[in-house]
Formats: sequence, C-alpha cells, structure tokens
Amino acid sequence: MLLNFERLGAWKWILLVITGLTAAFLILPILFIAALSFGSSQWLIFPPPSWTLQWYTAFFADPRWLEAAWTSFRIAVMVTVLSVLIGLVASFGLVRGRFIGKEALRALFLTPMILPVVVLAVALYAFFLRIGLNGTTTGFVIAHLVVALPFSILSITNALEGFEKSIEDAAVLCGAHPLEAKIRVTLPAISHGLFSAAIFSFLTSWDEVVLAIFMASPTLQTLPVKIWTTLRQDLTPVIAAASTLLVIVTIALMLLAALVRKGLKS
Amino acid sequence: MATLTDPSGIAGTVKPRIVRQYNFAQTMPALVLILVFFVLPVFALLLRSVLEPQPGFGNYAELLGSTTYLKIFLNTFVVSALVTAVSLAIGFPVAWALAIMPSRLSSVVFAILLLSMWTNLLTRTYAWMVLLQRTGVINKSLMGLGLIDEPLPLVNNLVGVTIGMTYIMLPFIILPLYGVIRRIDPAILQAAALCGATRWQALTRILIPLAAPGMVSGALMVFVMSLGYFVTPALLGGTANMMLAELIAQFVQSLVNWGMGGAAALVLLVVTLTLYALQLRLFGPARMGGR
Repeated sequence: MLLNFERLGAWKWILLVITGLTAAFLILPILFIAALSFGSSQWLIFPPPSWTLQWYTAFFADPRWLEAAWTSFRIAVMVTVLSVLIGLVASFGLVRGRFIGKEALRALFLTPMILPVVVLAVALYAFFLRIGLNGTTTGFVIAHLVVALPFSILSITNALEGFEKSIEDAAVLCGAHPLEAKIRVTLPAISHGLFSAAIFSFLTSWDEVVLAIFMASPTLQTLPVKIWTTLRQDLTPVIAAASTLLVIVTIALMLLAALVRKGLKS
Repeated sequence: MATLTDPSGIAGTVKPRIVRQYNFAQTMPALVLILVFFVLPVFALLLRSVLEPQPGFGNYAELLGSTTYLKIFLNTFVVSALVTAVSLAIGFPVAWALAIMPSRLSSVVFAILLLSMWTNLLTRTYAWMVLLQRTGVINKSLMGLGLIDEPLPLVNNLVGVTIGMTYIMLPFIILPLYGVIRRIDPAILQAAALCGATRWQALTRILIPLAAPGMVSGALMVFVMSLGYFVTPALLGGTANMMLAELIAQFVQSLVNWGMGGAAALVLLVVTLTLYALQLRLFGPARMGGR
C-alpha cells in the first residue's frame, strides 16, 4: 500500500505537496534569475519596475565578458576532445585487458571525482607555479581534463561492458582489419557512451569554478571566474544575464542529449 | 560453398589477431596524466606540510592546537551535518513519491532535478545571494505579510550557507534514494497490510528499514561533498563561520603559507577518504555516487 500511489489515501497528498514544494524550491531560483536579467532594477528589486534588455547589451558590449565566454568555450571543447579520446583508449584497456592491478587502476582513475576539488586546485596551482602553467590555456585544459576524465571513463567503460565483443571478432573473421572492426563495428555500438562522455566532459569544464579560480590570470579567465570576481564586488544584473545565457547552454545540451538518446534507441 | 573456403590461407592469420592482448599500454595516456597532474601535485602539497617552514609536525601542532582553527573544523562539521540532515528529511519523501507517482508527473520532477544539478554552481549561489539579501524577495515578502518588522539576516551566516548548500545537495540524495526505493518489492508492503499493519507501522518498520542502506549511503555522500565545498560557503557564509576549504584557499592565496595549507588539505583529505572507504566497505562500489 505504501508503494501503491493510488492506495496511499491522505498520505498521497502529503507526498505530492512535499514533492511539489521541493520542485518549486529547485526551479524557482533559476527562473527568478532569468526574470531579473530582463528587469530594469539595478538593485534586483522583484518584481522589476519595468523590463529591459540593457543587461544583455552590457554583457555583449563588454569585451571582457565575451572574451571570458570564448575562453570557456575553447577550453571546454579541447577538454571534451582529449577526455573522450584518452578515456576511450583507456576504457579498452580497462574492460578487455588482463593485467595485475586492473581494478586498482580503475579506482585510481576515478579518484579525482571524490577528492575535494579545492585540494586538487591548490596542489595544481603550486605545481603550475613551478612549471609556469598558471594563467595559460594548457594549464586550464590539463586541470579540467583531470576532473573530466573520470566521467569519460565511467560512461565509456559502461558502454563497452555492455557490448558483445564477439560481434567485433566476427567482423575480423569476415576479413576486416582489427582497427577497422573497432571503428566500424564497436564505436557505433558504444556511441551512446561516447556521447555522454562528451557531454559530461564539456559541462564539467564549462561549469568548473574552483580550479579555474586558481589557474586564472588577469589576462586569461573563464566565464565562471569572471562571474566569481564580479560577484565578490557586487550583485550586478549583468551576472543575471550571463547566468541566464549559461542556463540556456545547459538546457540546449540536455535536450541534445535526450534527443540523441531517443534517436539511438529507435 | 566455394566462397566460404579460404584459398589465400588468411584464416591461419586471423586467429592470432583476435586473441591479440589488450593490455596495459592502452591505459598509459590516462595513467601518465593522472600520475603527473594529480598524484604528484597532491603528494607534493602534502609533503610541504611537513617540510615548510622547517621539517617536522609544527604545522599540524599549530593547526590542531589553536582554537581558531578548531572552530573552523567544528563549523565545517556542523554545516555539513545540518545540510545532510535537512537534505535527507526533504529527500526521503520526494524520492518515495518519485518512485511511485505516475511517470507523467515524475518525469517533470526529474527534468527539474537534472536542470538544477547541471545549472552552473555560481548561478545557483548567485540566485540565493539575491533572494536572501536584506532587500531580497524573501525578506520583502515576510515584511509584507507583517511577520517581521526588520529584515532577517539571511546571508553571510549559517542560515544562508545551509539553504544554499541544501539546494545544491538535494539532487544527490534524491536520485540514489529513488533507485533504492524503486527496487523494494511492493508485495512486502502489501503483505504487511494484509497482516494488519497500520500505515505508520508499515512506514517505520518496513519501508524506512528497507530504504535505510540508501539513506545512509546518500547521507554519507552528501556529508563528504559538503565537507570540501568552497564556492557556496565562501559566498553565502560569513567570516564568522568559515569552512575548511576556504581556510585552505586562504592559507595559499592570501597568506602564502604552503606548510599550513598542505596540513589543512591533508586533514580534509584524510576525513574525506576515510568516509569514502567506510561507504565502500558498507555498500560496495556499485552504490557509490549514484543511481
């Protein structure tokens, strides 16, 4: 009865109310910021006295915001490509290899997920100070790659474990070169894993704040760093505009992921 | 059948190609990356805690011997425990409802959960800074309703951090708990009803005990994640209730004291890894982090 929605009686309504309130708690702040980004109040008064696009104009008129957004995008794309490539090759080794310490290696690859980011940020910052990588694109890409790679390895090993290897072997038996068999048989079969690896890697880098705060220099910063430094001064509505643009990118990627999942299923 | 025979004799060479060993070499690029840019820097940082300014455990003595730092440790635990408790109290009924409600309804809630999870951390924190400020919507509404005369201090204190962090942690407890409740066989609860159990008895003696592993596992995860959080406490918390991650950043950035920074990082690392090991021991790797 407790696990039958229709037979819960009055409890059903209690659960529904709690769930509804929680959903509202989760979504309203995001909608609120999106609404304020079109509001005319400098002090973020809600409801706004009138509606305007001035904060978006300010965002697009300021080369520092645009440059930060472009830097974020560039870094996220590089991280995505490297993370999927390295993750793919490593996953073949982890899933099909037979060597001592394989499970330990898999655990090692996933540790950056559980380690507090601030520890990695401070450690990498110190290391990069020594080898001169702070404030460089390379430094950003490496730092984000370390935290994105576990997501790639998780998604791709999952997909590869669900793939029947004998199909690839059959292609080889029919005369395909082993590499050709991998590219034309195995990769399409695990494409959903590759795709989620790419999305997770991109979003990990695109949204990453803590590592970026430490890696950034006055001349090279990502969008989250720019938001962070601006936030520490005041709560200007330009941040609301930038945040809304970030949310739109996130929604677009989520929809894309859902569409691809659907497309792959049918 | 002639086409199936192999006049060129390739068949002989095919077999060894298939059994070709997939080996260690394929994990090398990832391994090098992790060793050079993860393991090495973290160890180097921890080493500095016992080498700088002079070799010994002076940094640890200072860190664990001063009330200023102990207060920060205590505050980190208090905030994390509070966030975990609130997340669990809200998360359990929501996960329960999600597990049994019609999928038309639940898919809307799932979409909201995912959107919230993937919205930039700074965006979410910024939203709460705006909502909770003195002239923010929440204070304005409460004053408008005549419930308070003066704006309540909601940011730069424990209230602000707890709200902001709970907001971020909720999906991390709802999603795994949903998976656990989903796997419980409804027949068990039906049996309880047939045997005359009241709803309350069925809840406290059957549903909650069956969901308990998921609750403990989810709570541990949220607690550990909260311990190391940096951005949200830095923006929504006050100077009076600093958390451990901020202390580490402060040692390194403003005080340039790598010894103390390394020591504080080690404390955070040891607590985090111990709790994760506990989680693994209790629940196995399958439940960790998810589903």
